[in-house]
Amino acid sequence: MTRPSIVLRSLVIFYVGALLALPLGFVFQQALSHGWNQFWFALHDHAMDLAIELSLKVVILAVPLNVLFGVGVSMWIVRHPSPLSRFIDVIIDIPLAISPIIVGLILELAYAQNGWFGSVFAATGLRIMFSYPAIVLASVFVSLPLVSRQVIPLLREVGDHQEQTAATLGAKPSRIFFTITMRSIAWAAAYGVTLTLARVLGEYGAVLIVSGNIALITQTLTLNIGANFESFNAYQGFVGALLLALVSVIVLVFIGVARHRLERKRHVSFV
Amino acid sequence: MSVSYSGVTKSFGGRLVLDDISDIVNEGELTALLGPSGSGKSTLLRIIAGLTPLDSGRVSLAGRDVTNTPARDRHIGFCFQDYAPFRHLSLRENVAYGLKVQHVARAQRREQVDELLRLVRLEEFADQYPHQLSGGQRQRMALARALAIKPDVLLLDEPFAALDAQVRAELRSWVRTLQQEVGITTILVTHDQVEAMEIADRLVILNSGRIEQAGRPSFVYDHPATDFVASFLGPITSFGGISYRPHELEIVALGDGAESATVSEVIRLGFEVRVVLAGDDGTSTWVQLTHDQAKHLNPGVGQRYGIRVRSSKARKDAPLSSNVDAPR
Repeated sequence: MTRPSIVLRSLVIFYVGALLALPLGFVFQQALSHGWNQFWFALHDHAMDLAIELSLKVVILAVPLNVLFGVGVSMWIVRHPSPLSRFIDVIIDIPLAISPIIVGLILELAYAQNGWFGSVFAATGLRIMFSYPAIVLASVFVSLPLVSRQVIPLLREVGDHQEQTAATLGAKPSRIFFTITMRSIAWAAAYGVTLTLARVLGEYGAVLIVSGNIALITQTLTLNIGANFESFNAYQGFVGALLLALVSVIVLVFIGVARHRLERKRHVSFV
Repeated sequence: MSVSYSGVTKSFGGRLVLDDISDIVNEGELTALLGPSGSGKSTLLRIIAGLTPLDSGRVSLAGRDVTNTPARDRHIGFCFQDYAPFRHLSLRENVAYGLKVQHVARAQRREQVDELLRLVRLEEFADQYPHQLSGGQRQRMALARALAIKPDVLLLDEPFAALDAQVRAELRSWVRTLQQEVGITTILVTHDQVEAMEIADRLVILNSGRIEQAGRPSFVYDHPATDFVASFLGPITSFGGISYRPHELEIVALGDGAESATVSEVIRLGFEVRVVLAGDDGTSTWVQLTHDQAKHLNPGVGQRYGIRVRSSKARKDAPLSSNVDAPR
């Protein structure tokens, strides 16, 4: 092994260790520091259980919404390019570029009872801010480009000759989409889904502002962890953090598999 | 089924790609759309298939106007230059795709697919995936897939361009035989004049969005309507201010009423031997000889000969350039 490579390896190991492994290990150690009985008891904390339930409800709606939007907008940008779609292609990355706190503030401005759209909804008796819809809205917003950024390059690479061939064979657009297009982009979309899932579960800033962070009502798991730390209930916070970390590990494994499949597909397609 | 189009005009972003094109392709014929890249030939093919909308003009199949009919209802088989295999489907599933769309029953579908795979000699690869096949095999798969729906017309976009020389020559004659067996009206796009002359019943020569000439290959070769067609279909050389095919000239001993010239270069290409001569007036002419003619004459650089038009050729009184002023 050459000297630079030893140095480089040590650096990477140190970096990853200090940034990732050590804190993560600390979370595990703290969460289990009071023994299994205490851990089991903490798992059944009422506020945390409600927070987990809310987080899952948000994921269940936000992820499919993001897939529908992501695939749809990708098809539009790649297959029907126009000045407008090129503009969308550029601004779709905005949620990644601006701070989630700002996203939260923008949404509050727009959807509060006296905001631009909020007043419209208020007239129908529907309350957006500080409730479940607001959390979903914020989650969808911050993860907006995660699916389309995976799907767009693949759609470009695959091209439209397969789709056009299917059309000359008599297939309708819907059939072409499900039998040809969707089959080519399935793994890219799956990868986007796992990224979205991780982002939605972990989102803090935007959700903090739009939800109002009301315990037992609009507190997601991430918010619940934060609240526990702030109210000097660190142990409960570590237990929540451990759960979130475990979910992240599972999601990471999925990402790894999806990416592997995706790369194999790309490789294969150019043999 | 005959194909006709008239007044077909198309531009992309202000650039005129097809300029008022009209032609009729007879039933059962194989027509080659021949032209350099950028001549609009592929766009014309896509317009006939319904894959690209036209700006103005009409397309008809067997007299029925299909200008506004979507591709899926035109019943036209189309093969892309890259064969566009459905990557996630096996060869058998690729060929069966069109039949599935038509809701052909499973047993019948299997029978038809087997028959098509036999026709394109790919039976043993039925369960393989496109990436496991060679370029030539993928091309045959694309043909079988297009033929599966028993299309009225077959359109091939540069079908042999992506293949190496030997496979290309094989497939070319095989496609020709297949086309005659099936008896399907076929339009093929190519930029290779040898390929077009070998395979086609009829040539349509395109240049910058317009048809330069259409007709039987041998006729077009002998009677090119324009300078472009003459030079695109084969080599031409200038002699006495007039254009000739190099094999229409001959080299003879000095005198005898021939123009005298000095050999400046001899290029031996196996069967063909090219002799480049400098005329006394400074012009350069090249003459194409067969291997045997060259052996008999044995021309060397610096030797002096006479050049004249072969007496056996009718070309003598109808040189190529007499047509130069014909309407384009």
